[in-house]
Amino acid sequence: MENQEKNANEEDLKIVRTTSTFDCGGRCPLKLHIKEGKIIRVEGDDFEEKDEQLRTCLRCRALRQYVYHPERLKHPLKRDGPKGSGKFKRISWDEALTEIAEKLKEVKQKYGNSSIFLATGGAYQGAYHDGVFAMMRLLTHFGGYSTHYGNVSSEGAVYATQTQYTSPFVGHSRTDLLNSKLIIMWGWDPARMISGTDTIFNLIKAKEKGIKIICIDPRYTDSAVVLADQWIPIIPGTDTAMMVAIAYVMIQENLYDQEFLYKNTVGFEKFKEYVMGRDDGIPKTPEWAEKITSVPTEIIINLAREYATTKPSALMDCQGPARSAIGELYNRCAMTLTAMTGNVGKHGGSAAGGLMGIPYGHMFFGSRIPPPYRNPVETGLKSVRGSLDLQLRFQARCHTNKVFDAILKGKKGGYPFDVKFAWFVNNNFLNQLGNANKSAKALKKLNYMVIADLWLTPTARYADIILPVTSIAEKSDLVRPWPSGPYFACANQVIEPIGECKSDLRIAEELADKLELEEFEKYPDENKALRFLIKLREDTRKNIRNIDKFREDGIHRLKLEEPYIAFKEQIVNIENKPFSTPSGKIEIFSQRIADLNDPENPPIPKYMERWEGRYDPLNKRYPIQLISPHPKNRVHSELYLVEWLKEVEPHVAWVNPVDAEARGIKDGDEILVFNDRGKLTIRAWLTERIIPGVICIFEGTWYDPDENGVDRGGCVNTLTKDAYSPGGASALNSCLVDFKKFKGGA
Amino acid sequence: MQIGFYFDQTRCIGCSACAVACKDWNDIPAGSEKWMRITYNEKGKFPNVFVSYLINPCFHCEDPVCIPVCPVNAIIKREEDGIVIVESNKCIGNEECDSKCLKACPYDAPQFGPEKGAKMRKCNFCLDRHLEGKLPACIETCRTRALDTGILEELISKYGSNKNADNFTYSQRTKPAIVFKPKNK
Repeated sequence: MENQEKNANEEDLKIVRTTSTFDCGGRCPLKLHIKEGKIIRVEGDDFEEKDEQLRTCLRCRALRQYVYHPERLKHPLKRDGPKGSGKFKRISWDEALTEIAEKLKEVKQKYGNSSIFLATGGAYQGAYHDGVFAMMRLLTHFGGYSTHYGNVSSEGAVYATQTQYTSPFVGHSRTDLLNSKLIIMWGWDPARMISGTDTIFNLIKAKEKGIKIICIDPRYTDSAVVLADQWIPIIPGTDTAMMVAIAYVMIQENLYDQEFLYKNTVGFEKFKEYVMGRDDGIPKTPEWAEKITSVPTEIIINLAREYATTKPSALMDCQGPARSAIGELYNRCAMTLTAMTGNVGKHGGSAAGGLMGIPYGHMFFGSRIPPPYRNPVETGLKSVRGSLDLQLRFQARCHTNKVFDAILKGKKGGYPFDVKFAWFVNNNFLNQLGNANKSAKALKKLNYMVIADLWLTPTARYADIILPVTSIAEKSDLVRPWPSGPYFACANQVIEPIGECKSDLRIAEELADKLELEEFEKYPDENKALRFLIKLREDTRKNIRNIDKFREDGIHRLKLEEPYIAFKEQIVNIENKPFSTPSGKIEIFSQRIADLNDPENPPIPKYMERWEGRYDPLNKRYPIQLISPHPKNRVHSELYLVEWLKEVEPHVAWVNPVDAEARGIKDGDEILVFNDRGKLTIRAWLTERIIPGVICIFEGTWYDPDENGVDRGGCVNTLTKDAYSPGGASALNSCLVDFKKFKGGA
Repeated sequence: MQIGFYFDQTRCIGCSACAVACKDWNDIPAGSEKWMRITYNEKGKFPNVFVSYLINPCFHCEDPVCIPVCPVNAIIKREEDGIVIVESNKCIGNEECDSKCLKACPYDAPQFGPEKGAKMRKCNFCLDRHLEGKLPACIETCRTRALDTGILEELISKYGSNKNADNFTYSQRTKPAIVFKPKNK
């Protein structure tokens, strides 16, 4: 029979254990079946404890279509038509690197090193072959470069946690969710965004244990579908108003933990004054919040009472609501509530803060080839250490969501550099930053651009030279997950590079030769380099005793004696183990922010109405709020072309039938979504799962403007704004649009 | 003996990892041929919404109606485990017989590629894995552990005999080999 024959033929089958490095943060164990040098199948984790298996999701289940996709770039390419035309001709590596080296030398000589721009992203995060580290090292040796600050995903949460805790490790082991009595998921959809391989399963276990779960979100998410005992829909951008009203109820009814606040925090009194309206005459009552959030007063009151009296409770804020004009204030307010309820540092509690990382096996502690990373272009600047002044970050850099504005305007626009040469690595920024049409304009104007990628992405279309990069199946590396583990993972090379692809590190090493940078140290022996990098970091050195076994297994799981709890150390012993904030306590009021004297950046968390929300006057023209969450069948724009994933979910916009009917739109209609920044087309999916007045388009499909400038790829960033909050959050979820039936043309 | 599936509908997030794993393991190109499908059901009005997902492989029915309708006896039910398999080389293709198996099946399990006169293929319970003592790819894939399999009688004693779920009606005629933990509104 057919299948039995298959078995007989599989005697030469080889199974290699490895992992992947997409920007989902999971580094799931994979067993790749290799036959005649080709990946033929993918299997997942087979750890003996089935409940603890780190089961990979659909994305890596489709890994082999990604690796062998016919549209993978296989040779270096040189532009052979106008910028953006997508016309390229094949050239050799030698030609490509010679041209790049000449260009680099020319720009350095004519304009100086600050005109060389490095645009880095998170599409590959490895210790060894990582292109970001390789290019930083190379360009440092070359005399320096300009770059950008602030990550696109979570900068609001980063700023918020730096403000109140001075630590990004605000997470608990996921198993600790089972110690909660109440879990509040606020703008968090791990069913889609993964958020740690074992997260959704632990949440399901918590629910089945009888722990109540409340989901607050503009959408009834897939996580809410399986988890929510209660769904509280909320108008995007107003979460903070609801949080403030929850604080009001707790204060009014004396339901907050005064002893915890007294012992562990500073500035609660100032927050209280704001909440009760003593400073601005507006008590932040549930009635006040209802008008802003659309959440009924009674629901706010009940939630406040339930959260304050159920102990321990885990308030799980995330990063999405902070990708907005209000940004960090959402996470700061959530953190303040966790302090008011005394849930910080407790089993089953949560410190909030949106980042969810634990300091074991975390990506932040990953190894990398040693410096110099001191970028000569950035030496002699005022120190940013400990400061919350975002402007200090921009002494030599631009904000990440302003990369294209900076390329477009340069010094005349107030930026610290004029870009004449740009190297893009591990990113598809045109697609993934705000205002794609403006980005395209900037890239058309850019003098010279190199990109290293696996694909001819919308960003790569504008490059002068494209360098083809190997996939994770074509190289070995050390990688780490975020936000949850704890484990160390190892990627093993399973196949020969496709075409002429090279890793980013090899590209940098060869370019170093062309630039005659003798001091640029090379690490040509992969096996030796990996051993060196394992030994370089204390956690891997101590834990991974048998490196051969680690490589063979592809994973080293860390066993913790008990679930990790953020700030437990501080909370049980604040006198001797203070927080590293200036006061040594959780700073609900931040003097460091107060010193900045910026009315837009308040020292206590507040609800503030900013631009392109429900109450912006622009709402009269563009009455629909656009949100752009993670897609379920890609990682941002990675894996976009993989057919097995594409067919799982067509690219559709979630539209409430109320909004659709008002515009004569039926389910499945092609609609034009538009604002002053751009227009895109997409099919409407009519669903009761979204609050009226809001449209949801999942980010990451590829920008594809037609001859009328209408993006037929439905890339959401055609509509979003290239702006950031006072704390540096890329404000992509603050976006007003309208939509109508698409009838062709513009 | 009859193998069967167990599906905990309350755990399914509709992620479709099982469907992708099925395509990978059985080497099926993207397109119309889907041995594992996920169906979606939404009820209610904002904000009182109910959503369920449902797996749809071949349920390896106790009385498979696809077998008697096949004009060339290409479909057989294995006595040793009840797995319903198709001998695709015998199948004369969907044009020649007008997809009789697909029309007979209440669950649309028989699948055809996009090519003219495509021969029927469908979920075979990952027979190759089954013969090696391994679980079907979909079961091992499920991140929320919503899927299980085993001998149907044992599944019933372990999980109960619930044969209906949201968006699914048990066919008395074909007797699909599945038990559920259904999701109820």
